[in-house]
Amino acid sequence: MKSTPNYIHGFLSGLESLLTGMRTTLRIFFRKKVTEKYPENRATLKIAERFRGELVLPHNERNEHQCIACGICEMNCPNATIRIVSEVQPDETGKNRKVLTAWHYDLGSCIFCQLCVQTCPQNAIRFLPTFEHAVFTREKLFRRLDRKGSRLAAKPQTTPTPQTPAGNQ
Amino acid sequence: MLTEEIKSILPEGASFEEENPATISVPPTVWHTFARQLRDKAELHFDYLACLTGMDWGDALGIVCLLESTVHRHAIRVRIAAADRRNPELPSVYDVWKSADLNEREVFDFFGIHFINHPDMRRLFLRNDWVGYPLRKDYDAGDNNNPVRLESDETPDATFSFEEDSEGEIREKEHILFEEDEYVVNIGPQHPATHGVLRFRVALEGENVKKLDVYCGYIHRGIEKMCESLTYPQMLALTDRLDYLSAHQNRHALCLCIEEALGIEVPERAKYIRTIMDELNRISSHLLFWSALCMDLGALSAFFYGFRDREKVLDMLEATTGGRLIQNYNVIGGVAADIQPDLVRQIKEFLVYLPPMLKEYHQIFTGNIIARQRMQQIGVLSREAAISYGVTGPSGRASGWACDVRKKSPYGVYDKVEFKEIVHTEGDSFARYTVRIEELQESLRILEQLADNIPAGDFAVKAKPIVKLPEGAYYKSVEASRGEFGVYMESRGEKYPYRVKFRSPCLPLVSVVDLLARNNKIADLIAIGGTLDYVVPDIDR
Amino acid sequence: MFDFTVVTQWVDQFLRSFLPAEIAILAEFVLIGLCLLAGYALIALVLIYAERKICAFFQCRIGPDRVGPFGLMQSFADMIKMLIKELIDINHVDRFLFNLAPFVVIIASVLAFGCIPFAKGLQVLDFNVGIFFLIAVSSIGIVGILLAGWSSNNKYSLIGAMRSGAQMISYELSIGLSILTMVVFAGTMQLSILVENQADGWFIFRGHLPALIAFVVYLVAGTAETNRGPFDLPEADSELTAGYHTEYSGMHFGFFYLAEYLNMFIVASVASTLFLGGWMPLHVAGWEGFNRVMDHIPSVVWFFGKAAVVIFIIMWFKWTFPRLRIDQLLRLEWRYLLPLNLLNLLLMVVVVVFKLHF
Repeated sequence: MKSTPNYIHGFLSGLESLLTGMRTTLRIFFRKKVTEKYPENRATLKIAERFRGELVLPHNERNEHQCIACGICEMNCPNATIRIVSEVQPDETGKNRKVLTAWHYDLGSCIFCQLCVQTCPQNAIRFLPTFEHAVFTREKLFRRLDRKGSRLAAKPQTTPTPQTPAGNQ
Repeated sequence: MLTEEIKSILPEGASFEEENPATISVPPTVWHTFARQLRDKAELHFDYLACLTGMDWGDALGIVCLLESTVHRHAIRVRIAAADRRNPELPSVYDVWKSADLNEREVFDFFGIHFINHPDMRRLFLRNDWVGYPLRKDYDAGDNNNPVRLESDETPDATFSFEEDSEGEIREKEHILFEEDEYVVNIGPQHPATHGVLRFRVALEGENVKKLDVYCGYIHRGIEKMCESLTYPQMLALTDRLDYLSAHQNRHALCLCIEEALGIEVPERAKYIRTIMDELNRISSHLLFWSALCMDLGALSAFFYGFRDREKVLDMLEATTGGRLIQNYNVIGGVAADIQPDLVRQIKEFLVYLPPMLKEYHQIFTGNIIARQRMQQIGVLSREAAISYGVTGPSGRASGWACDVRKKSPYGVYDKVEFKEIVHTEGDSFARYTVRIEELQESLRILEQLADNIPAGDFAVKAKPIVKLPEGAYYKSVEASRGEFGVYMESRGEKYPYRVKFRSPCLPLVSVVDLLARNNKIADLIAIGGTLDYVVPDIDR
Repeated sequence: MFDFTVVTQWVDQFLRSFLPAEIAILAEFVLIGLCLLAGYALIALVLIYAERKICAFFQCRIGPDRVGPFGLMQSFADMIKMLIKELIDINHVDRFLFNLAPFVVIIASVLAFGCIPFAKGLQVLDFNVGIFFLIAVSSIGIVGILLAGWSSNNKYSLIGAMRSGAQMISYELSIGLSILTMVVFAGTMQLSILVENQADGWFIFRGHLPALIAFVVYLVAGTAETNRGPFDLPEADSELTAGYHTEYSGMHFGFFYLAEYLNMFIVASVASTLFLGGWMPLHVAGWEGFNRVMDHIPSVVWFFGKAAVVIFIIMWFKWTFPRLRIDQLLRLEWRYLLPLNLLNLLLMVVVVVFKLHF
């Protein structure tokens, strides 16, 4: 047992520390709350543009995409999430070219590493910041990114950029 | 100087290569005595076993030890190959460096090397009925060997060791871990205070902890094995998933290692960005530490305050990297994208926002008499034990060991910023707590110096589409939120690494729980676990 | 001021008007029992809602706001959920004791609940050793907790129950002594007279320093007695997952849950009865006008208002402080509260003997 003054001092300083804590929590009690009311706040909810929600293959208004079915994304995917199905068809000049027939993407096994987007020579794919992907069965996460009847855009809208580790902006 | 000293004690049959760092190959028979000399000779004083990696070189199995001296600050690598591939045996050095204890068990688990005289040769991560040793190159990964087993894995109360008797015979010996009549309680694998799926078996005597045994591996994903079949850019995605609270720092280490091997010079801007992100990550991690510790000790409101403030950091990280937890931001040669133009403003706002909140933290928790008495003098880790067990990071610094990699061997732009390495000498839970809180302030200081001075320029250099590392072994470490995170990589010049080992800062942390919690109360075990602040996916790689 | 004896007597006469006396009394028993249980459940639901809201506000959150306006229906929804949940049959438990334990806990708290004077003339049990009876029955609850811990055949539960036993036995001492201090001051153990005595000044004002100390000690010990944070060691969720009620499910768990909140209410009610005048309005001697205005506020409001304030303070403790360790908990009692209490009792005796109070 410590000496008496120590005992009393310890008791009082301990009590003071407790009261300090209570004062602070009471101040917080009356402060503005930080709760986000989802889904009511959908309109005001801001998701960072770069957030990786799902992979898409953007199509233009003529139902054309940029994918040349080269398969680099498929090769780079560490989790075998992407499967490109293509067939060889002659183009206008008569040359045989690979044409995309199906762009399969499994959102359920995607680890959002972005390698596919970073390595795509055509900038054909990108990530969207959408995030409401909850479904009841896993099968629904198998997606086909190319639309029905879509075809390769005649001329790339953007010049193909060399492989820089660019973001998905 | 170092070369001469080592050569003077070099045992017979050992070879010495003067790379940087020096690499020594030692035959297994002399390894134990040589290890002792390395540690005890005053001029060498290799007291810190930074990383112990199991290796399968194809023709032989063995280990690679990275040794450092905390006094002289020099480092060497030692390779020890077991003689017989079918029955590999190596002497254990757990009595020289305590950190060898769990690491050797890991090597046994994955490579099947028997460590002679190691007191506990159970598997560390895998089930006891696992067939084969998965990190061996000739391992059959087919489903037939190890199908998904539906029955539960019995936990034996005894362990075994391989000991050399006086005639030089190796014998298997059984040791009892828990007696029949001991009151053994499972803390975990599903328990609110283990911060993940970690399991302690605790022998209790009333409220007191008598003995504690750690069981890891509940979420082991075999990331090191996976890396062997992934290309270097693909590998990057996995480091974020080790210690998810220092995702950026882990990836930084891997990128540094690859860049060093390739000889890539990262642009100045990228270095600044990486450093800023490292520190933001550290802040978010320490805030989470604070919250989780408060919750463990029963202060539930404080938990939310920490998370409220961490949210601001995560928002910043998300805006620039696109991820809150898994950031995917570092790439070989720089960072994946330039910073969001708003980031600097956000950081400055945060620099103003956080300090008053930290003051509140002190009012609510640090100063609180209950919290203080729960942490002070509890779980004292001495400096020697911290070094021997390899407890780095804030926990090591709380024991008086200045082990900050940012100071020891600066990377990024840590050599250009001013910050204090927080070192406390008490070694108790409260010191571990204080170190982290003070580090928060230091991180803010670093951000303050960097935010305005990010130089213009590229944020990345062009990387080749196919990355091939030149043949050799590489090690690079960074200061992650919980300690030294290192990447040891061996390459044979191919697209894929030959072997990757992640030196996780959290494995040493759990290895000291037994030491710290013994003869303390159950509540202290929770406080000790909380202040050590381990993250389970980092233990189970 | 409205006197509830008018209502109770009217009911009594009404029943006697067409029933024989014995049956009428029996009917009254049943009626009172039903009212008591309904009140018990209602108060528990309100408290659960209040706790969730208050806790949320301390934590920068809004709390329940989905079921009903401001989430008011949340606890009712929870109650329905709890009622229809399965009572999981657990192997290797001592089935009889396991099923008995929640009832022991809830009976103890209902008995204590019956002693509380809610308003003028609204009290079920009132006799000369009322406060003594209250302490006695409320400590039966500990038996239930020990039984729950023992019969669950779960190591966490057992440790929780043992902690609970050590804790309750220790803190009962403080509760008893601080109540004794006030009994010395009031000179009676009958709850109704205790309240009547505070007509011209609550005890906490009239008894000044010793009463104030007794109040604080009572609050601390009462919090410990109800196993609430920072004294929630028996169910320390980060150590023992849920302590003694780890294995309970459905309504059996619900009983523990209800009893915990009701015990908090009982502690708050006793505190307001002993120290804050119970249902007695705030009177200041000499201020006739002021006193008359105060009298217009119904006594029920006074009582529940005071209890609410005390409950808020207890919740405030819980949502601010970290949990104590078992040895600290016992040290707090035996090294600080007990000596303080004994000294305070002495002080109170001095105050009473020399008439130093107001």
